[in-house]
Amino acid sequence: MHLSKEEERILAGEEGWARARALEVVVKVGEALGAERLQPIAHAHVSGVSYYNIGEPGRRFLEDLAASGAKVSVPTTANPIGFDLDSPQGLDVLDISPEYVRGQMAILNALKSMGIQTTLSCTPYYMPDVKRLRPGNSVAWGESNAVVYANSILGLRTNREGGPLALMAAIAGRTYYYGLHVPENRVPRVAYRPGQGMKLDEARIGVMGELISSMHRAEGPPMLEARLSEAQAKELGAAMGAAGDIAMVFLPGITPERPPKKVREVIEVEASDVERRLEELAPPAHVDIVYLGCPHASAEEVEELARLLRRGSPRPGGPRLIITMSREEEERLSAEALEVIRTFKGLVVRDTCLVVAPLRRQALSVATNSYKAYFYLSRRGLKVGLEPAERLAERLVSGV
Amino acid sequence: MSEALTLRGRQLVSGRAVGEAVFLDAISFYGDVDPTTGRLRDGREVKDKVIVALRPRGSTVGSYIMYALRVNGAAPAGIVMSRVDPIIVAGAVLAEVPLVAFIDENQLRGVRDGDLVELLGDGTIIVRKSARGS
Repeated sequence: MHLSKEEERILAGEEGWARARALEVVVKVGEALGAERLQPIAHAHVSGVSYYNIGEPGRRFLEDLAASGAKVSVPTTANPIGFDLDSPQGLDVLDISPEYVRGQMAILNALKSMGIQTTLSCTPYYMPDVKRLRPGNSVAWGESNAVVYANSILGLRTNREGGPLALMAAIAGRTYYYGLHVPENRVPRVAYRPGQGMKLDEARIGVMGELISSMHRAEGPPMLEARLSEAQAKELGAAMGAAGDIAMVFLPGITPERPPKKVREVIEVEASDVERRLEELAPPAHVDIVYLGCPHASAEEVEELARLLRRGSPRPGGPRLIITMSREEEERLSAEALEVIRTFKGLVVRDTCLVVAPLRRQALSVATNSYKAYFYLSRRGLKVGLEPAERLAERLVSGV
Repeated sequence: MSEALTLRGRQLVSGRAVGEAVFLDAISFYGDVDPTTGRLRDGREVKDKVIVALRPRGSTVGSYIMYALRVNGAAPAGIVMSRVDPIIVAGAVLAEVPLVAFIDENQLRGVRDGDLVELLGDGTIIVRKSARGS
């Protein structure tokens, strides 16, 4: 691999042990993949910070790294942890022991001492720092839904780095020039088109994400020829990132890059295939929890749910409403929306989500509009069904 | 006299190593290896052994498990693989475990548990077949 004078200097330890080691990891991984040089990055997002996910080995590593004096050299945000910092025990479906809190707080302190902004959200793309980045900037992000969002909606360039590598890139200020950092690898060659009569809501779009990620084998990202809202594009990316290893989907009208003049092949996604899969994934008539916010909800998504709820009053004995979102998005919520959520005894939880938190029991049934939540929670043994927000609202109100 | 086999790959993480082989088709350090003891789920130990595996699989937490093995004194002496992924490479750098990859899969399949595997540090691997013929 070709290294600049400065990179040689860092590797030789002239900026400290931690930075040398971080750059060494990036270089070795790059060499293993055949990268010829490094790529400076403008931002990093570190995943794998929940004590539930990384346990003692992760805590130990992050603490040792922080103790060695490691500091990030670009603005860096972090993924959700295992509980809401304001009330670790506030969500009774979570199993938060004092030991758990200690382990999680040790991780958090290590992140802070390395200079990482503890945004604790899987939607770094809503953060002001990130909104200031420009299409074409390279970043190193380690959360699959955020990776797809960055590449497809913001025009940022990142591979699926995973937690440790994103952190190493953050400290080194560089990643390896490979994959989606290379412009020609961002050009779609195969397009997918929703079939005749397909209804486009976030649940169906999530299912479409699953179907496309199981079909897509071609070089380059898939292209989807459909007019999607921001929220729909986000769910599509989250579904693709969960069901497979897709890191970018080209969305004409949304993706800032110029679409190709033509593609090699256009594949129709049959409406009947989507409906069949959606039927398989349908929630049971009665569920314990209605879950919104995987990935973390935007203020707009919650406002939309509040509008739907305002049509009726809370159904007695109905399911509980749990919303997970970042603190920044929560602050943007209107007083009316907050009032509606309060009336419905909904719980707005920050810093965490049901996917990365330790759950008290697996015998819970959940209805959600997020394919990603379905994918991960059902693998943790929960009974999870998928349906659009409109249907979720119907579960919560009476007399509609 | 034991029969010796020479394999060539690319040295991704530097260092020489020697140890008995522990062979796996696919390895995910997360889930397969106890980070405290270095014991595999099937009861075999990786501590001071050379892990020989065809391919990686699994979660990014694997890098942290490899680091934990080093800290807990249960790290393998070396790793020899056909294919690798960023998780394994990052973990091997962090745990300072010599790693050689891109060795032909069929050649690696010839390695058995208990064979003595030596990493010469330049991507060359010498495999001495165990007399036990396990």
